Amino acid sequence: MPEPIIIFDDVTYTYPGTEEPALHSISFQIEPGEYVAILGLNGAGKTTTGLCVNGVVPTMLGGELTGKVTVGGLDVADYPVREMSKLVGMVFDNPEFQMSQMSAAEEVALGLENAGVPYEEMMRIIPETLELVGLAGFEERSPLALSGGQQQRLAIAAVLAMKPQILIMDEPTSNLDPIGKQEVFDMAAKLNRERGMTVIVIEHEVEVMARYADRVIVLEAGRIVMNGTPQEIFGRVDELAALKLRVPAAAELAKVLGSEYGLWKGPAPITTEPAVKAINELLGANRG
Amino acid sequence: MAETIQGQGGLAIDVRQARYVYPSGNVVALGGVDLAVEHGEIIGIIGQNGSGKTTLTKLFNGLLKPTSGSVIINGIDTAKRTVQQMAPHVGYVFQNPNHQLFARTVQMELEFGPRNIGVPEDQIAERVAEAVEFFGLQEFVEEHPYRVSFPVRKLVGIASIVAMRPPIIIFDEPSTGQDHNTTHIINGLMRRLREQGTTVVCVSHDMPLLADVVERVIVMKSTEIIADASPREVFADKALMARTNLQAPQVTEIALETVVPLGGPVALTTEELAADIASRAGSKSKTSRSSATVR
Amino acid sequence: MSMQAALPIAMIPGNSIIHRINPLAKLVWVVGYVVLAFSTQNIIILYSMAAFALLLAPIAGVTRPLLKGALILVPVGSSLLALQIIAPAVERPWTIVDQLGPLSLYGDGVYYGFVLLGRIVASLLLALIMVMTTHPSDLFTSFAKLKVPYTLNFMLAMTLQLIPVFQREVGIIMSAQKSRGMKGSGFSAVLPSFVPVFVGAIERVQQLSISLESRGFGSNGIKTSYRQVKGRPSDWVIGIIGVLVVAYLSTISIMRGTWSLATEITFSPLFVLVTFLVAASLFACVVLAAVLFSFKK
Repeated sequence: MPEPIIIFDDVTYTYPGTEEPALHSISFQIEPGEYVAILGLNGAGKTTTGLCVNGVVPTMLGGELTGKVTVGGLDVADYPVREMSKLVGMVFDNPEFQMSQMSAAEEVALGLENAGVPYEEMMRIIPETLELVGLAGFEERSPLALSGGQQQRLAIAAVLAMKPQILIMDEPTSNLDPIGKQEVFDMAAKLNRERGMTVIVIEHEVEVMARYADRVIVLEAGRIVMNGTPQEIFGRVDELAALKLRVPAAAELAKVLGSEYGLWKGPAPITTEPAVKAINELLGANRG
Repeated sequence: MAETIQGQGGLAIDVRQARYVYPSGNVVALGGVDLAVEHGEIIGIIGQNGSGKTTLTKLFNGLLKPTSGSVIINGIDTAKRTVQQMAPHVGYVFQNPNHQLFARTVQMELEFGPRNIGVPEDQIAERVAEAVEFFGLQEFVEEHPYRVSFPVRKLVGIASIVAMRPPIIIFDEPSTGQDHNTTHIINGLMRRLREQGTTVVCVSHDMPLLADVVERVIVMKSTEIIADASPREVFADKALMARTNLQAPQVTEIALETVVPLGGPVALTTEELAADIASRAGSKSKTSRSSATVR
Repeated sequence: MSMQAALPIAMIPGNSIIHRINPLAKLVWVVGYVVLAFSTQNIIILYSMAAFALLLAPIAGVTRPLLKGALILVPVGSSLLALQIIAPAVERPWTIVDQLGPLSLYGDGVYYGFVLLGRIVASLLLALIMVMTTHPSDLFTSFAKLKVPYTLNFMLAMTLQLIPVFQREVGIIMSAQKSRGMKGSGFSAVLPSFVPVFVGAIERVQQLSISLESRGFGSNGIKTSYRQVKGRPSDWVIGIIGVLVVAYLSTISIMRGTWSLATEITFSPLFVLVTFLVAASLFACVVLAAVLFSFKK
């Protein structure tokens, strides 16, 4: 069993100027190479949880944090965000808000320049990173002249250049069209599978997460209410509905077939293909 | 809703051969589009970014004027009117509420639109009160619009348009950045507006939302309308969905691979699909039902 | 895309000799041009400077965009000339060379009008060529070499980057408010347009600061630079030549009391009349076009 790369130990956090804690006694662990989805309503504490991992909370934003967040063996509270950035890359929902440079190459270079990476090495890393996110040849393009999906992949490249082991994406596709969404999630899956990168995605789109995630954490009002495999979590259709969260249609269908028609036993499928297969067998058995 | 500008006779939206070319150059944003929408319809517009969706909806309220062709909204030719003059006839809910909220209180925010279009003061209060009730914003009227949570802010943004009581309302990506709960609330609002006779146009990438709400889907690609049909017909057209890089809701996709080839419905809800599956699987033998399991 | 076009003057990518000159050497020339232009009243020098700048345009391959950018000179130049001819900005006595109805046309005004115009034309043309042939990042990298503080430099670069972004943002907000029936102008439009822009800007800055911080911005260690701006011997030569020429010519100009040729050159009444009419009607056309355009909107 490898050492967990992220450990939240009884973390309670209150933003400065507020009374009610944004996170209440949060504890969980993430293994290296896991793909974790964090679900919850707006205001449930998803973004705050993400910010705890790279130390923006509490180092940059202040406020009161009790408990301990350990990332890569380091106590996050003891290191400035720029140190944590060598371990954790984070991108947000609006890629354009993360752009500051005149060209894609310079956007990727920014972190390297700040870290004092020598020129020759930069010249190797930049094209490599752009290639990795599918933006090879876009070096001289202005970030503002890219499509939403390309911009978000550039924002990801800009943090990947720092060679982090963890990538956190906070609603990375909420401003993108379906093509852009596809581009971003395909790329994250590739990073996770081929490079063993730990990926944390904060998302509302359960169908997409059902397909990619190894684990799902559900937050409600600053507390963890569920933590398990997508199979387990998305199977708990009634509980998710009570939390006002969306359930993959495949799981919901199995639930209805089971409880109302007695036609389903066993675990619910959470993605399209197994659902189709099982239903066709069901229909086939009755026809034949 | 006595003071509402009534839907004029004829069509709510009547677009004929509308083209839009950016004034700066030769970039065609919309190429010869025809569209007729009856009063009280609820339609969705889908397509990738750059397909011309936003250009089309901006023609509806006069933010853009057609380079050629005509756009008649609620019986009024937009070419001869300013955006402000169109405001009583067509409301436009922008994607990000932060782009429009500015007042000190939610109450004042809701008064802004009606006052601009010249609603008498005594009726403004009535309209705002009605919008507050419709949206369940009672506890927020004295709050600053930026102090309320993002979902509530979104509702305030929509309410600020509804308070003007336009007979036609355009929603631009209403579910962006919103959780399932808020999306669900917005869906309900769109349906209720429609029940009151408002024509609703919803531009969205969110297929489950459209499946839930609209009765007609306009599909756009490369500046043109390439399909105009019911959600069921559109989602069932695999070639069309593939060509536009769009994906039908998961329940519909499952239906397409299971019951549709057997003559079943292009289901839009899990209940609908489950009932059909049950009728096929259960009708054979009620005593020895076989159960599906996942392998 | 269209967002880049939002800035009327932008770099025209290329690899000409002019493009390859070190940004600082180019900057020396632009500053030198301005210094010289304002220390002399010699129109021969001024228009030679403008001609030299024009000569550089085809070498840099920016002739068309340069002329397009220089269009701004039409209203400025025509109004300047017309005004100077009827009301020179020099001490009296003025010499009347012609009469146009109630207007007296002064010969001194023609000369000084051309001097002022020459100053603007020469400085602007060279500055435009510099902007069009220099990648802004290279300029900022060069500034960094001059020990301009990193944060200040970054802010300058960032501002340049944000102009088109905010232009677009303002456009969206104005559209949103007009859709709510807001009158497009006047005092009542200030708050509804300003507050969302302001709030949006704050939100953007907050996200950007987190995003920058997570990329090591503000670390104290040694920074490296992706942009390599070379200072070759030729760049030094170009820079030094610039300094020497400017120093020599401006010294002579100042020693000769701005080296004005006003008394040596006399203009025929017909020339003055034609110049005035052309300048005045040009200016009138620009104004009329502007009024018509805004009315149409």
